[in-house]
Amino acid sequence: MLASNDDGRRLEQLVAGIVVLSSGDLSNRMEISPARDGIDAVTTGINLLAEELQSMYDSLEIRVEERTALLEDAKTDLRRVINTDELTGLASRSLLRETISHAILAAEQSGKPPALILMDLDSFRLINDSLGNAAGDTVLVEVARRLKSAAGEQHLVARLSGDEFAVLVLGCEPEDVLQLAARLLSGIEAKIQAGGIAVTVTAGTGVRFGETGLRSDELIRDANIALHEAKKQGPDKMQVFTQAMHETAKERVHLVTEVRAALAAGEFELHYQPIIDLRTGRLAGAEALIRWRHPRRGLLAPDSFLPAAEEGGLTVEIGRWVLDHAIAQAGSWRTAPGLPANFRIHVNLSAVELHHSDLARYVQGLLAEYGVAPEQVAIEITETAIMSGGPEVSRTMEALNGLGIPLEIDDFGTGYSSISYLRTLPALHAKIDKSLIDGLVEDSQQENFVAAILQLIHSAGLGAVAEGIEHQAQAEKLRDLDCEFGQGYFFSRPLAVADMTAVLAAGGLAGIASFAGAGGREGRGRHVARAQT
Amino acid sequence: MPVPDRDLETPGGSDIESLELDPNGILRLVWARGVSIDGSGAQLAMDRVNELCEGRQLPLLIDMATTNSVSRPARAVFSQRCDASAIALLGSSPVDRVIANFFLGVHTAPVPTKFFTSQDEAVNWLMSQADARE
Repeated sequence: MLASNDDGRRLEQLVAGIVVLSSGDLSNRMEISPARDGIDAVTTGINLLAEELQSMYDSLEIRVEERTALLEDAKTDLRRVINTDELTGLASRSLLRETISHAILAAEQSGKPPALILMDLDSFRLINDSLGNAAGDTVLVEVARRLKSAAGEQHLVARLSGDEFAVLVLGCEPEDVLQLAARLLSGIEAKIQAGGIAVTVTAGTGVRFGETGLRSDELIRDANIALHEAKKQGPDKMQVFTQAMHETAKERVHLVTEVRAALAAGEFELHYQPIIDLRTGRLAGAEALIRWRHPRRGLLAPDSFLPAAEEGGLTVEIGRWVLDHAIAQAGSWRTAPGLPANFRIHVNLSAVELHHSDLARYVQGLLAEYGVAPEQVAIEITETAIMSGGPEVSRTMEALNGLGIPLEIDDFGTGYSSISYLRTLPALHAKIDKSLIDGLVEDSQQENFVAAILQLIHSAGLGAVAEGIEHQAQAEKLRDLDCEFGQGYFFSRPLAVADMTAVLAAGGLAGIASFAGAGGREGRGRHVARAQT
Repeated sequence: MPVPDRDLETPGGSDIESLELDPNGILRLVWARGVSIDGSGAQLAMDRVNELCEGRQLPLLIDMATTNSVSRPARAVFSQRCDASAIALLGSSPVDRVIANFFLGVHTAPVPTKFFTSQDEAVNWLMSQADARE
């Protein structure tokens, strides 16, 4: 059946209505005719479907709104958690950063950029270690309360990490910032009751004044540099950031990167300073000393790069490099030109290395690899590293001693040794620091002092090595005081491998044999005891 | 019963053509010609049905021929339980069929509900529903 003209028109209207609906206007409804025929039925159906769809959309909108509101609430809660330090209720690091950014933006209008004070409690670890974490927390909460009270409502006080706090100073001149810093410090001065005792708290403080154009990260970085400087100077110190500090910090960072690259590029080398048996004038060993053959700056002594290496966490890696190369060199010399009897390569180990429990195993592996006997290597450990090392260091020393490697207490007399402890150490020798040798000849009191130290070392059953010997008179005096070994410029500077090889090939340092004369006595200390067994 | 006077002023009051109880015990609701039933009109009709039932469960025959449209809120009202024991929807045109079946398809009717184009069939079905309940 053909549709009538009227049906055609109605169908067109229906199509037009559907087009409107499909354009997204679901409120559009199409009229039905009095005929209530099939076309009207389709129209009605589409109207009904459109209404259903609109209703579903509307309820979906409402649900989305409800969910959005829930999400917003959750976000607000989360923000509160993120912005608050849980323990102290102070602002968190993230809120501090955010507030600094806002303050810097606001300063573009006000012309008063924010300043930052960073505070790091001195020796806080001691409180935690000795009184427990609960007492530590009590101290932190009280310090936070006092800082907040001293800072007032105008400034934002935040806790950045364990014992590090920050105060963002808003709208203040430098003079006011310093006054506030002083108020903060005096605020924490009074003793705090924690863990049953009254604890005194001090802090290192770094201050960065506000400066127009300074970025948020720069403000924090500079305050940190100032804090670092303050902490370096000891407890209860305050430092205001200066550009010079920044330059130093930049150089330090650059140096750390350079040291890392130098290690990879093989720019380090070992030099060897001969150690002489003062009793016989014979070559008794050589101390391996690291040098950096810098491509531009030439040969650098360790003082100029080891602190940076330590800061960059490279101490262990460099220490292992030294061990590896020194023991390899000993192996090489053992083959040619050969090592004199009782000759030892001395290697220095840092406190950090001694904390690694696998150190002895590592050394044992190197000895096996390079065919070196344990007694042909001596390991030097500073007095400070031993005294502050704790049980891990003691275990490592016992393990090295157990391998048959002689240990030597380095820089003896410069730290704070417990004299009774000296007797129990598994060491063979103690090395007297250069500072004790200076003035030995000219100052009779110094001579008495060194004699007493030598006697102390010998009484503990140890042999003595003196370093920093620059003159023959010093060497003779030390020999006369029964010091067994010596090293220093008088005998020889640290030598490059080729020069040290030549010394070994020659059987010793030229001209030194004549130094040894009467008066030297053998048979002293554990050194000899071990040699005899 | 024609539309009570009181309803003429209330929203949807003029939507109902008549509502009465026939001798067979069937409530008969006739919508006004060309009515567009919205939520309030639907609620009013439902209230009046319940009044006439007086607590009894009575079969309901709704004459929806000529109904223009039934809004979604109105359909929601009809899907609530009332005192009707069964509902026969009586229509004649394809439009009635679409409206009725849309209601039946989209909503779950609270009591047995069916669309008819024949009044006799509708009455017979309602009676059979009443018998089945007895």
